[in-house]
Amino acid sequence: MSEQLGFYVNLAKCTGCKACQIACKDKNDLPIGVMWRRVAEYTGGEWIQDGDQYLPNNVFAYYVSSACMHCEDALCMNVCPAAAIERRDDGIVLIDSDKCIGCRYCEWACPYGAPQFDEDRGVMTKCTFCADLIDAGEKPACVAGCTYRALDFGPISELREKYGDFDAPAPLPDPTITHPNVVFSPHPRAVSYESSAGKVLNAEEL
Amino acid sequence: MNTKEWALIAYTILTQMSVGAFVVLGLAHTYALRKAGEKQANALSNRALLAIGPVLVLATLASLFHLGNPTNAYRAISNIGSSWLSREILLTLLFIGAGGVFAIMQWRQIGEFRVRQAIAVVAAIIGLGLVFSMAQVYQLRAEPAWDTAATPVLFFTTAFLLGALAVGVAFVATYTYLKSRVSSDELGQLSDLLRDTLRWIAVGSIVLLGVELVIIPLYVSTLATGGPTAIASVDKMIGDYGVVFALRLILGFIGAGLFGLFLYRSAVLNRQNVMITAVYAAFALVLVAEVLGRFLFYASQARIGL
Repeated sequence: MSEQLGFYVNLAKCTGCKACQIACKDKNDLPIGVMWRRVAEYTGGEWIQDGDQYLPNNVFAYYVSSACMHCEDALCMNVCPAAAIERRDDGIVLIDSDKCIGCRYCEWACPYGAPQFDEDRGVMTKCTFCADLIDAGEKPACVAGCTYRALDFGPISELREKYGDFDAPAPLPDPTITHPNVVFSPHPRAVSYESSAGKVLNAEEL
Repeated sequence: MNTKEWALIAYTILTQMSVGAFVVLGLAHTYALRKAGEKQANALSNRALLAIGPVLVLATLASLFHLGNPTNAYRAISNIGSSWLSREILLTLLFIGAGGVFAIMQWRQIGEFRVRQAIAVVAAIIGLGLVFSMAQVYQLRAEPAWDTAATPVLFFTTAFLLGALAVGVAFVATYTYLKSRVSSDELGQLSDLLRDTLRWIAVGSIVLLGVELVIIPLYVSTLATGGPTAIASVDKMIGDYGVVFALRLILGFIGAGLFGLFLYRSAVLNRQNVMITAVYAAFALVLVAEVLGRFLFYASQARIGL
C-alpha cells in the first residue's frame, strides 16, 4: 500500500491570484457552480482611536486555498448511504458517480465544503487529487498551476516532516472533526480556527 | 434552503406522524380492549390502523424527490455499518413491512391475539428506532443548529403530538361513519370509548405542547451563545424567518393548547359536535405548525468551516 497523499499550501506566499482554482476548473472541466479548489479571503482587525484620529491597529488579510483534504476520518465516506465514496490505496478519497444517489448528505457532513452537487447530472462531485495525473506520474493541476509555487503535494508524512503540522488556519474548521491530510505554512498574520478575529470576505464566490 | 428539502419535510413529518400514531393507537386499542372488549376496540381502531399504510408509502415516495439521482435510490441502504441515513431508510422499510404485516393480520383477524400483539410490539419498537435514527442523521459536527439534543427531543415530540391527534381524527371519522350503521347499544359504547380516548389525547397534546414550549426557547437561546455559525442559524430562524417562527409557535399553541382544552372539556361534558370540531381543528393547526417548524429546521441550516 502506498502512502496517504496530502496537499501543502504556503499561506505566506499565496497572493490570492486563484490560478489554482482556475487550473482545477479547467483541467476537470467543472460545470458552473462547482469549484473543487477554492480560495477564501480572510480578513479582520480593527481601528484604534488616538486622540482625534483612528489608526489601523491589527488589520490583516490572507488567503486560504482549500480543496478536499482527503481526511483521515473522511466523514463524507462514513455518512454516504450508498457507499459511493471510497479511498484508494494512496489515500485519495473518490466519489463514484455511478453509485451516487444525489442525496447531498456528504455536503452537510463535510466542514470543508468539498463535496459539491452537479445540478445537471444530479450527483455529487469532489476533488479527485487529479488521480489520473497522479497515476501518470504528474502533479495535480492546482499544484502545477500555482504561479507562486505556494502549493505542493506528496505523502503527508513527508509534507509534515518538511513543513510542520499546522492544519487549521481560520476560516477552516476544527481539524479534530475529520483530521485533514493537509499542511499549511502559516501567513505571518494567520489566526487559528478558534479565532473569530476575522471573516471571509468573498463568501459569495466560494 | 434548497427547494428539494420540501421532500424531506414531507418525508420526516409524515413518517414521524405514522410512528406516533402507531404507538398511540396501540395504547388506545389496549385501553379499549380492557374497557369494552375486542369487538368495540376493533371497530374503533382498525380503520385508523389501515390509514397509516398509505401515509407511510406517500412519505417514502416523497423522500425520492429529494434525490438528484433517484434511479440509484435502491443503493441508499448500502452503508448500514456507518451511515445513519442508510439505517434510517432501512428502518423505514422495516417499519412499513412489520406494520403492514400486523395491519393485515389485525384487519383479517389472522393468527392468535398474542402473535398479533407481539408483531405490533416489534413494529412499534422498529418505529421508535426509526425516529431515533432520523434524529441521528442530523447529529453532524459541521452543523451546529442540528447537532443538539433538541433534535431528537423535538422529533419524538412531533411524532407523538401529530400521531395522537391523527389517531383522534381517525377515531372521530370512524365514529361518524359508524353512527348510522350500528345498533344504538353499540353506538353508546363506542361513544363512551371515543370520549375517553379523546380526553387522553387532549391531555397528551397539552403536555407535548408544554415540552415544545420549553425546549424551543431553550434550544434557540443555547444556540445563540454558540459560535458564529450557530448564531447565523439563529439569525435565519428568528430573523429572516421570524414570521414563520412566530406563526409556528402561535398555531401550535392554538392547536394543541386551546383546541386541546376545548377537546378535553367537550369530551368530559359529552358535547359531541364541539368535540369533533375541536379534534379536527387541533390536528389541522398542529400539522401546519409542525410543517413550519420542520421548514425552519432545514432553513436554519448553516455549516461551519468553508
